[in-house]
Amino acid sequence: MTEPRPRLVALAVAVGLVLADSSIVVLALPEIYRELDTGVAGVTWVLVSFNLVLALAAVPAAQLGRRVGPGRTAAVGLAVFAGAGIACGLSTELSTLIAARCVQALGGAAAVTAVLELLPATVGSERRAAAVWAAAGAAGAALGPAVGGLLTELVSWQSIFLIQAPLAIAAGVPVLAVARHEAATGIVAAELRSTGRPHLLANLALVMTSAAIAAALFLLVLLLIEGWRLTPIGAAAVVSAMPLAALLGTRIGPSVGSARARAAAGAILVSGGLGGLALLPKAEVVLTLPPQLLVGVGLSLVLSALTETALAGRAPQAIHGGWTISARHAGVALGLLALTPLFTADIAEQRRDAIDSGTAVVLDSPVSPLLKLELSQRINDRLEDERGRVPTIDPAFEPLPDDPEERAEVLQLRSELQDQLDRGATHAFSPSFGLGAAIGLLALLPIGLARRVDL
Amino acid sequence: MSAERSVSAANRGTLLVLTAIVASLALVGAYLASGGSSYAPAQVQDPCEPREWRDPEGLDEIAEQFSFSALDGAACELGVSRETLARALATPRSRERFTQRYGIDDAELARAIRAGLLRAVDDAERAGALPPLLAGPLRQTVRQIPLNQAIELIQDARTLLDQAQTFLGPAQGLLEQLLP
Repeated sequence: MTEPRPRLVALAVAVGLVLADSSIVVLALPEIYRELDTGVAGVTWVLVSFNLVLALAAVPAAQLGRRVGPGRTAAVGLAVFAGAGIACGLSTELSTLIAARCVQALGGAAAVTAVLELLPATVGSERRAAAVWAAAGAAGAALGPAVGGLLTELVSWQSIFLIQAPLAIAAGVPVLAVARHEAATGIVAAELRSTGRPHLLANLALVMTSAAIAAALFLLVLLLIEGWRLTPIGAAAVVSAMPLAALLGTRIGPSVGSARARAAAGAILVSGGLGGLALLPKAEVVLTLPPQLLVGVGLSLVLSALTETALAGRAPQAIHGGWTISARHAGVALGLLALTPLFTADIAEQRRDAIDSGTAVVLDSPVSPLLKLELSQRINDRLEDERGRVPTIDPAFEPLPDDPEERAEVLQLRSELQDQLDRGATHAFSPSFGLGAAIGLLALLPIGLARRVDL
Repeated sequence: MSAERSVSAANRGTLLVLTAIVASLALVGAYLASGGSSYAPAQVQDPCEPREWRDPEGLDEIAEQFSFSALDGAACELGVSRETLARALATPRSRERFTQRYGIDDAELARAIRAGLLRAVDDAERAGALPPLLAGPLRQTVRQIPLNQAIELIQDARTLLDQAQTFLGPAQGLLEQLLP
């Protein structure tokens, strides 16, 4: 058998890797939808499919793990996850990518729930195992987008999936030893106990907060890349503020004993951050940092408090851990499904409005009528080239006129036009961020009720 | 001692929730105060509403305002904004996309543009930029003009006005001499 320390690292990596997958492709979505010739609504299914299957498969996978042994289940789960990751990386069509993502989620569900059964033997107690498991999952989900953005920019979106295969196999090596032990002895590590009912209110609150957090991450990334035209690596750097703030949240959490207070504070902060994103007063990256700080600290507080509440005093841990995975990822999938139609409609409408306002700026500007006509045609070409994306307008103004007065007028015009486009892009996301904030606040209901009723 | 500890833990919980509320309200309040609720694209003017003509100083300025009036009139007929129509008429490809998107044919587009040009003549006459004697023949011209020429007229109203003055200006001078 492997030494406890390397095994602990391997198990934590396995959980982090699987749960990172729920968000790792967020920054690659614009790249994927252009390459696979689809739209935002279609490419959202690359995320939704994984989260939906993970939500549906987590509890059955946990039950399977208890029957055939967590070592074997985790080993097979990681192998399926790795294989499906390679299939994702080799996909040239959206349908095959989505199908491979579903298989990847099945493998991931088996691995992540089985690891929760394997952890107590490694760390010494179920309580500590739950804490390690929850922290590894939160770290994976928080770091996923930044890692995905880096890989997309430096290599390609395919590399996000391909790189997971060797990592999953490496994490599976220590698990294989347990699996071999189970096969040789016929001993199933988990004791077969009857399963109690899941903590409904904690899991319901997890669904809602996860939907709100998914909204924050997914929409912010799309705003940065599609609306404000940042590169994936630039957007990755910006959204790194969220996991950094989450680290701060992990420091605050332990000093407050009450899980209910931590969950309530976390839900309020997530909603406050989303409220801030819905009311951005300018298209400036720095203005996304305070809302991200709130969302990051909030997500760390609320997810850990609700997961702890859902697992506390409930056995077996793998099944109840499975319920928390189901709740979290059902929340992510529901959040994406609810928000995508709203914001795709809004972005189309706001884009039209912004382009109209920009055209009005050109038409009413003091530049010569001939230059106006020429600029209108060039701007129109830029819009058609961008296929629905908010365009970078600068090339339409090149070359700048030689005459200093006319040049100044054109530069002023360019800046006014860009301002209208930025306003349109930013405003398009406001209703969706606002809805996310409302969903986050709704989570306060089950959190508040959890004090009086313990289901 | 343990009662004190639990009171202090409860206080920390309350403090955490209060801090979260204050931080959230402060952020939302600060963004609202900085104009977060009004950071949206400017609304464009309704093309059916009359647009004020600035004091035209030369033929170029008159031609530009004439084009804008024509665009307004045509856009009003089609139920789109002046800006959408201006972009649609920029190239043959953009025109085709526009007619497909709004489900209109060339005859409808031509009717709308002629209506727009007539409104432009009216507006120019009302603003004193076009003498009544030139306005009449211009109306006759634009009522029968083919679509492509109508679009060219909107894009380059200067040529039309220039020609109108060249051909009709002497006639106007003659009439002014003959009439008391």
